Parts: sequence; structure tokens; C-alpha cells
Amino acid sequence: MDRRAADRLLLTAARRGGPWVAVMMATSLLLAGVYTVLPALMGRTVDAVLSGGDTAGWLSLSIAAIFVLMVCDTLDDLVGKLAEARSVAWVRHTLLRHVLGLGTRATRRFTSGDLVSRLVGNSARTGQVASTLVWAVMDLVPPLGAIVALALIDPWLCLTFLVGLPVVLLLVRTFVRDASDINEHYFDAQGRLAARLVDALTGIRTITAAGTVDREVRRVLGPLPELRRHGSGMWRALARVSSREALTVPLLEVAVLAVAGLELAQGRITPGQVLAAGEYVVVATGISSVVSSASRLALARATAGRVSEVLAEPTVRYGDEKLPDGPGRLEFRGVTVGASGSGAVLENLWLTVPGGALVAVAGRSGSGKSVLAALAGRLLDPDEGEVLLDGVPLPRLDRSALRKAVAYGFERPVLLGETFADAIAFGPRSVDADEVSRQAAAARADAFIRRMPEGYGTRLADAPLSGGEAQRVGLARAFVQAGRLLVLDDVAASLDTVTEHHISQVLTGAGALADRTRLVVTHRASTAARADIVIWLDGGGVRGQGTHRELWSEPSYRAAFQPVTGAGGEGPGGAGTGLPEGADAAARSPA
Amino acid sequence: MTGRAGGLLRSSLRRRRKEFTRFTGWSLLQAVPAFFSGWAVARAVDDGFLAGRTGAGFAWLGVLAGAIVIGAWATHHATLGLSALVEPLRDELVTLVTSGTLHRSAQVGTPADTAGVARLTEHVEIAREAYGAVVMFVQGFVVTSTGVLLGLATLDPVLLLFVLPPLLLGLGLFVGSLRALAARQRSVVLADERMAESVSALTGGLRDVVACGAEDVIRKQTGDPIDTTARATRALARTTALRTAALGIGGWLPLVLILAGAPWLVKGGVTAGAVLGAVTYVSQGLQPALQGLVQGVGGSGLWLLVTLGRIAEAAEGTPAEAAVRGRGMGQAKGSLTGAGAGLAAAGETSHRASTAARGSALASGASGASGTSRASRVELRGVTFRYARSAEPVISGLDLVLRPGEHLAVVGPSGAGKSTFAALVAGVLEPRAGQIRLDGVPVRSLDTDGLARHRVLIPQEAYVFAGTLWENLTYLEPGATTTAVDAAVDTVGARPLVERLGGYDAPVDHQELSAGERQLIALVRSYLPPAGLILLDEATCHLDPETEAGAEDAFARRPGTLIVCAHRISSALRADRILVLDGARADLGTHEELMAGSALYRDLVGHWEVTASPTP
Repeated sequence: MDRRAADRLLLTAARRGGPWVAVMMATSLLLAGVYTVLPALMGRTVDAVLSGGDTAGWLSLSIAAIFVLMVCDTLDDLVGKLAEARSVAWVRHTLLRHVLGLGTRATRRFTSGDLVSRLVGNSARTGQVASTLVWAVMDLVPPLGAIVALALIDPWLCLTFLVGLPVVLLLVRTFVRDASDINEHYFDAQGRLAARLVDALTGIRTITAAGTVDREVRRVLGPLPELRRHGSGMWRALARVSSREALTVPLLEVAVLAVAGLELAQGRITPGQVLAAGEYVVVATGISSVVSSASRLALARATAGRVSEVLAEPTVRYGDEKLPDGPGRLEFRGVTVGASGSGAVLENLWLTVPGGALVAVAGRSGSGKSVLAALAGRLLDPDEGEVLLDGVPLPRLDRSALRKAVAYGFERPVLLGETFADAIAFGPRSVDADEVSRQAAAARADAFIRRMPEGYGTRLADAPLSGGEAQRVGLARAFVQAGRLLVLDDVAASLDTVTEHHISQVLTGAGALADRTRLVVTHRASTAARADIVIWLDGGGVRGQGTHRELWSEPSYRAAFQPVTGAGGEGPGGAGTGLPEGADAAARSPA
Repeated sequence: MTGRAGGLLRSSLRRRRKEFTRFTGWSLLQAVPAFFSGWAVARAVDDGFLAGRTGAGFAWLGVLAGAIVIGAWATHHATLGLSALVEPLRDELVTLVTSGTLHRSAQVGTPADTAGVARLTEHVEIAREAYGAVVMFVQGFVVTSTGVLLGLATLDPVLLLFVLPPLLLGLGLFVGSLRALAARQRSVVLADERMAESVSALTGGLRDVVACGAEDVIRKQTGDPIDTTARATRALARTTALRTAALGIGGWLPLVLILAGAPWLVKGGVTAGAVLGAVTYVSQGLQPALQGLVQGVGGSGLWLLVTLGRIAEAAEGTPAEAAVRGRGMGQAKGSLTGAGAGLAAAGETSHRASTAARGSALASGASGASGTSRASRVELRGVTFRYARSAEPVISGLDLVLRPGEHLAVVGPSGAGKSTFAALVAGVLEPRAGQIRLDGVPVRSLDTDGLARHRVLIPQEAYVFAGTLWENLTYLEPGATTTAVDAAVDTVGARPLVERLGGYDAPVDHQELSAGERQLIALVRSYLPPAGLILLDEATCHLDPETEAGAEDAFARRPGTLIVCAHRISSALRADRILVLDGARADLGTHEELMAGSALYRDLVGHWEVTASPTP
């Protein structure tokens, strides 16, 4: 973690609090000052009353101080929170902008949950830095002032306090050590319980069918007695420390009062000073907050470090060129992804995808098919070499030009937007409801969406989808946005062959999208068979290129395809043997 | 929300009156130092140090020290007493969350969102801490202020005049601001949650956002909740200022009044010690207690209400949601969790009662766990199902009769309604129209146990829980003998898996098993009970073709009716008859009949078979 970057971020975040920060510093300072002098003022007032001195003067001073204190306390809290709200919002907006600028780089570097915690939790702590810092410093002023004041009233009072203080601090420290162990056990048991619940939820269909919900409830609650045991342990530790605190702090005060009484009896101090001494001891024990103040600051610094770690990643830069007219010709020139040498996913790849062609990308898992697909639309930049679309290197393209030209379909699409209609129309192109349902029909999603309670207006959150359904909605989205290049990364993985066949008709022959350049990553022989060209990836590069028919003779090419689709011919005891004569021909005839 | 949260708290407290009384007793003792503090200081000064009797002064301070020791001892016990109130509430909440989410998920047919479940776990923890804080601070304030006021009265009753009015004024102001505070706090929590939701949607779908070029749209969509949160925080801060003002009035104003009135008091015969004592009472007793009350109730109390409200919501079934979409499994009958504010126990009881009342008409059919199962006759008449009134039907006017012992395969494109069909026959879903009978008895009239005895439904996602292999295998037949389990394992073809895992007593971790291995466990499990009907809903899709064939053959040889929602066409070829589903249309027949009469079936067979290779 870069400490300096974290500190810089904290400083900027604090400044973003605006004028409120300055006001807060002023009120906090005033507040700390009043807290420090008030006991002395009250003491003087009491003395004045008892001895008939300048009562009015001291009295009005005391009362004025208390009023300042009441006003400042209210103001300080308010202004601190206002500054915090502004700083937090600034940190969050900055981070959000940056994460979006990072794009897929962010997901490669950080997990999704991690990003959420940085954007939601860490950003809050970072934005609270101004008030944290000011209050941490100002919290120290009254206790330190009180210790000095005790010394000024009578050195023995101060000495008594300083001797007793370490005992108080020591007891608080032991608690922290005691409790952390028990807490760990407690949260461990809690985690196990939560894990069981999540497990049971994933198996809910089995549980429902078997009618064992109540049994599952009991099973999930299995670790509860243990949780209770560790929970009681936490309370026992708390009881120990709170009773120690209730004992030591007041006893320290009594000790100081006893010394003060002795001095009073000898006429060395006044009754008002006894009163002040009692008050000061209470204020001075606040010194133990130095530990928590320091840890709060350290925490702010650590969380700021986590935010600035994201901000330190360079964002994706887009050019400002538009795309000239063209057929959607895609070129890979000497493209390498990953460390050069044995670790590379793709190494020195040279490849041209002709405009308007249907090109299948095949290969075993891990051969870099999805990487190739990501490169085609700059979801990933190569470490070496360049990718060109109709002669323009992708990084020189303006962002919206690039996105209008290249559309993506994914194996596991994440559907964004409120409703199905939103999710399908999600992107730079604005489309009407007709277009949405037309493309949904092309992706074979129309029928099941219409069966939803609200049709296209059904909220995504209310309609859990199967993998195949989500794929089809994602595909409809890709169809809506399709420009000159359509990249489909294993979009049919969860689809049955009939559905896939219907969808492929959109992409081939006289289909609506048959004129685009189509780069299709697939595990299915049927898909590869329909392509104009198959690019066979293996060992970090292109192992072969040609039609499916030409490549099929290679056993290792055949191995790149799913056994499900190949089962008919090869599966032992498989279906082929059971198929009556003529069925084969009958099956082919409609195609 | 507040009402339900209040209900939860009240019922928890009612059930623990004894613990509460004990806790109150210790709290009273805890206030002894607060009562003695001002008085002892006053006596020590007046009768001791100022009167030249240092020894008496020390003695009075010694009394105070004694009170402090007693108070510390009481603090220890009061904290433990508090735990006796808080820990059971935590147990109740955990039970409520578990039972609520499971029952509701069973009702809707799909698992609750797991992130939401994780948040609930956090809420339970927050509620536990907040509840402790609130009880402690409220009790602390009541006890301390009583002690202080009594002490002041002992010093001089006139002092109460200086303390009581501002204290009541401050308390009134605080109580008056509570409603607004609660509303503001709730909107902060809600804004925070909305923001977290949109942020996690964004980070989970970053690739798709970039691929769709939707950065600007998303920046706005996620940016808005950030601003909303900031606005809510500012609004809360303004209301909190009111709270701080209340604290100032209740805690500091008495001091101002005592100081201002001191000349008059002294003239009226109040001693120096009494003035000192009064100041001590207010600044060291009343002020901290009031601060605790305001922060405890104003901070933790609001959190407690918000989190408890959330938990109560999660625990109750929400029928509106259940009606939206019961994909796959659908609404369980009645309201299992409709016991209102009821804690898990209550919910369970009502559920039991309702199932018992229904009785099981066909208990005799397959009651013997001896393994002699009887095959069921399945009958569907005019069955129609749609997920909502306005939606298009998934299954429409379906008629079908299966002879006992018949083997049916269900095929069709994905989304054609195969799982819905299985769920309907299994009695998990209620058809919108038509009748489904098992051995002549309407399937929806059977109670949970009756259903479980009559048919076994295995979904695609196999459920394997943390436990031993034996527990997992005998999940549906807890009393199974080793011989029976051995036989099932061998028949289904799971012997190599059992050996790899290290025998029946080996613990299983579902994350260490492949999807196919999990399905094997589920298959053995469902082979054991002597049910007359077995429904395999793509339950073999992760097995390799050879193992799948072996497992399906095992079920086909087993006496009993078998329905297989087929993942591969090979499954269809093993069946006596085949049901082809395509949206609301359905064709039924043997393989040969369908090859001749169903274009869709020909298509399915063709694509399953042909895709292999261009066979040059």
C-alpha cells in the first residue's frame, strides 16, 4: 500500500468537505477550550459565592461558558456530519468514475465483492477523515488541560492522579486482548450457521419436494448452542471489564478528592478548588481515549489506502477517431496476452477475420478463445501487438464509435436494467418496444418473457432465470446493439440444440444479422460446422484454420468439442445404436 | 416496520420477566454510588475537611469508596443479567431468520437471494448489540436519575427545583424528536442499502457495462443513490442537532441554575458542601446518564428498530412476492409461515396442525419401509398452468394417463415447461385448471408427509449438505439398512464414488464434489424410499452418458412409475412413451409414433444426433 497516496487522498477528501471543515475546526477548538476551563470557572464561582467575593463576574463567566459549550456541541456535531456527507459523496463519485473508466481491468484486478466493500464501506471511512482527525486531536485537549489544571491547583493532586492512571489503562488493555479470542470463536460459529443456511437454500427444490423444511431448519440451527456458549463468554469478558472500570475510575477520583480534602483542611486550597479537582479528574481520565483515537486514525489511513489502490490503476484510454465505412474486417497483428514465454495465453498471434464472415473459434478450455473474443472489442488490451477493425487500431477509436461497431453476447451475461425491456435495450443505441420484442424473438426469448406476469415489464429481480434463459436475454441484447462486428462468446452453452438451431438461423443464410462479421466462440461441433471459417486455438496460438470439415480429421481438433454433442456417434451404449433405420435421414430432411 | 419490531421485543421481554426483574435488582444496586456521591462529598467537606476533622472527611470518602465497590460488584452482575435478556433474543432472531428464509424459499420455489441472507446475519448481530445498549442505557438512566434526585432531596429538597424542570424539558425535547430521528435514520439505512445494491449490480456486471458502452448510464444510475445517501445523512445530521440540544438543556441547564441560584441558596442556609454535592450530582451522575440515554436510544435504539423491522419482514412470508413467479417449484400450500409475529415455534406448530388435520388418505399405499414399493397410476385431466393470470400458459389443457410401472420421458426445447410439468405432477405446483391424481387421489390434497411417501422428485441441482455421506444418502429414508443402501449404491453405480470418499461415515463437502458426483448422491438417495413414482428432472445432466444410462436403467428396473425430464435424446429412447412439450402444445407417443407425427420431435432427435460431425 502506498502510504503517501493514501494520505494525499485523505487530505483531498477532507478539503472536499468545503467550508464546513473550517467551521468544525473552529467549533471543536472552542469546545475543547471551554471544557478545559469550565471546572476552574465553576470553582471560582462557588468560592465567590461562599466568601462573598465578585459573585456576579464569575457567575456570568461560568454561565457564558456553559452556553458556549451547549451551542458549540450542537454545532460541532452538525457541521462535522455535513462535512462528512460531502467528503464521502466525493470519494464515492471519484471511485465510481474511476472503476467505470477501468472497466474490465477492475474486474481482473479486484473481485466484485471487494469492489463493493471499497465503494461502500471504505469510501465512507475515508470520507469521514476530516471529522475523525479533528475530533481525535481535540479529544486530547481537555484531558491534557485537566492534568495541567490539577497540577496548577495543587501538585499533589496531579501526582495522585498520575500514579493511579496506569492501573486504569492496564485494565482496559487486558480486556481488548481477552475479548478478541472469544470474538473469533463467536464469529466462527456464526459463519458456520450462515454457511449451512446458504447450502440449504441452494438445495431448496429438493427440500421442498421432500417436505423436509422443518428438519432443515433444525439442521441449520445446529451450531446455535455453540454460538450461545461463545456469546456468554463475550458477556463475561464485558462484565469483567465494566466492573473494573466502574471500580477504578471512581476510586481514582475518591483518592484525588481525599488529597484535595487534606489540602482543604490545611487551608492550602479552597472548596471551589476541591470541586474543580473532582471535575478535572473525570475529564482527565478521558486520556485513555488516546488509544481509540489513534486506532481510528490508523483505520482511516488503511481504508484510504484501499481506495487509493483502486485509484492508482490506470484507466482505459480511448482515442477520438471515428470508424470509416467498412465490412467489419478484424485483424490481429502480433498479439500477445500474458507474460511472453511459457505463461502466455496467446503469443504472437497473427490473424485476419474477413469482413462479413461467420468465423467460429474452437479449442480446448484454456486455449484463449474467450481472450480472443475480449480482444476483438477491446474488453482487453493485448500486452503486445495490436488489433484493428477496418484498418483502425482499436485504441485510436472513440469509445462510442467502438461500442456501436462491436456488440457482445456472453455465456453468462449479467443483465442490467430494471425490467426485461430495459435489459434488452441496454446500450448506446436507443430502440423502441417493437425492436426489443423482435430481437427477443430472434434470440428465442420472446415466448418465455411473454409468459412472465408482466411480460416485458416484469422486473428482473422478480424473475430468477435459468442459465439458458439468461443467455437468450443476453443474446437479444447483443442483437439489438449489433453493429458491424458481433462477438458471441459461447452464448449457446446452456441452450438445447433446437433452440440453438433456431438462433443460428438469424446469424446465417438470409438471417437478419447474416451480413455482419460474426466471431463465435463455441464448444459445439454443429456451430463450427455452420461457420465459413473455423479458427482452432491451441497452445497459445492458431493451431489450424479452415472449414470444420477440413479440420475434423484431426483427433485433437475433435477433442475440443463437447461430448454431449458428440455422444451420438461415440458414446458407449449411446443413443445412436438405438436409433431406428431412417430416423437419421428423417431428422436431416427438414434442415 | 416499527410495529412488528416492537412486537418482537415485547414478546421476548414478556417471556423473560424473571430475568428482567433480576437485572433490575442489580441495576438498583449499581446506582448506590450515584446516590452517595454528592452526599458523601458534601458531608466530607462540611463535617470533615472544613470543620477541621480530617478523619471524618476521610471516613465519609471511605463510605463513598465502599459504595463504589458495591456498585462495581453490582455492575458485574447487572452485565451478566443483561446477557440473560440479550442472548435469548439473539437465539430467537437467528431461528426466525433461518426458519423464515427457508419456509419462504420453499414457498416461492427459488432460493432467497444469498446476499440478502448474509445481510440478515449482520442485522441479527447489530440488533443484539443495539438491544443490549438500549436496555443498559435506559435502565442506567432511570436508576441513576432516581438515585441523583433522591440524593439532591437529601441534601436540600429545594435543589430539586433547580434540576428537575430543565431535566424534564430536555427529556421532553428528546422524546419529541425521536419520531423524526427514527424516520431519518431509516431513510439513511434504506438509501445505504439501495446504494450498496446498485454498486454491487455494477461491479458484478462491469464487463457487460463496458461491452454495451453503458458507462454513462450506469454512472448516473449509481451516482444518484450516492447523492441520495449524502442527502439522507445531512437530513439526519440536522435532526441529530436537536438531540444534542436536548442533551444540553437537560444536562447543563441544571448546572447553570444551581450556580446562578447559589448566592440565594447560601443565604437561605445551604452549606458549601451541599453546593459542591449538588454540582457533583449533576455533572457526574445526571449528565453521563442522560448522555447514555440519548445516545443509547437515539443511536442504538433506532438501529434496533430498523434491523428488527428487517428481520421481521424476512421472517414473515410475503405472499405478494410468492405469487409473482414460482418458477420450477411454486407455492407451497397454505401459509406455512403465516403465523404473523410468531417466532419459529409458533410457525412450526401451526404448520404441523394443518398437516395433521388433512390426514393422509393414501398412507397405506407406500407405508412399509421394507422396500416393497408399489407403482403409482398418474392421471392428468385438462391441466393448465400459467405463472400469472395475464401471462401466457406454460402448459395448456394437458391430458395424460400413466399406467402403474410405466416409464415416461419428457422432452422439449429449454423453457418448454419440462420442470413445470414435473413440479405439477409432484404436487409442488398448483395447476390453474384441471386435476392431477396419484392412484386416484388428487395430488394437492396430500399433506407434505403423504406426498413425500408417494413420490420422489429430484431436481437438476443436487442438494448435498455438510454431514456424513450416510446422512446424505439416507436423507429421504433415515431408517434405511446398510444392506438397502449398499444395494442402491451398487444399482445406481455410485460404488466408485463411495469408495473414493472413504465409505459411508466420511464427511462430505459439497464444494469438493463435482456436479456429477453430487447428482449421483441425489440419485442413490431417491432410489431408497419405496415411493410409487419417481420424477427425475434433468437429474442426470452432469453425468457422463455411460453413467447416466446405467443410473436410468436402474430406475427403470425398479418397480414403480418413472418420469424422466430428458437432457439427452438417449433418455427418450429408453422410455415406454415420450411427451414432447413445446410451449402450450404437447405430443404424446412412442418413439416411432412421434418420429412419424411430430416435426418438433424429429427436430429434437435430429439435432441431438446430427450435430456430432459432418462425417466426410
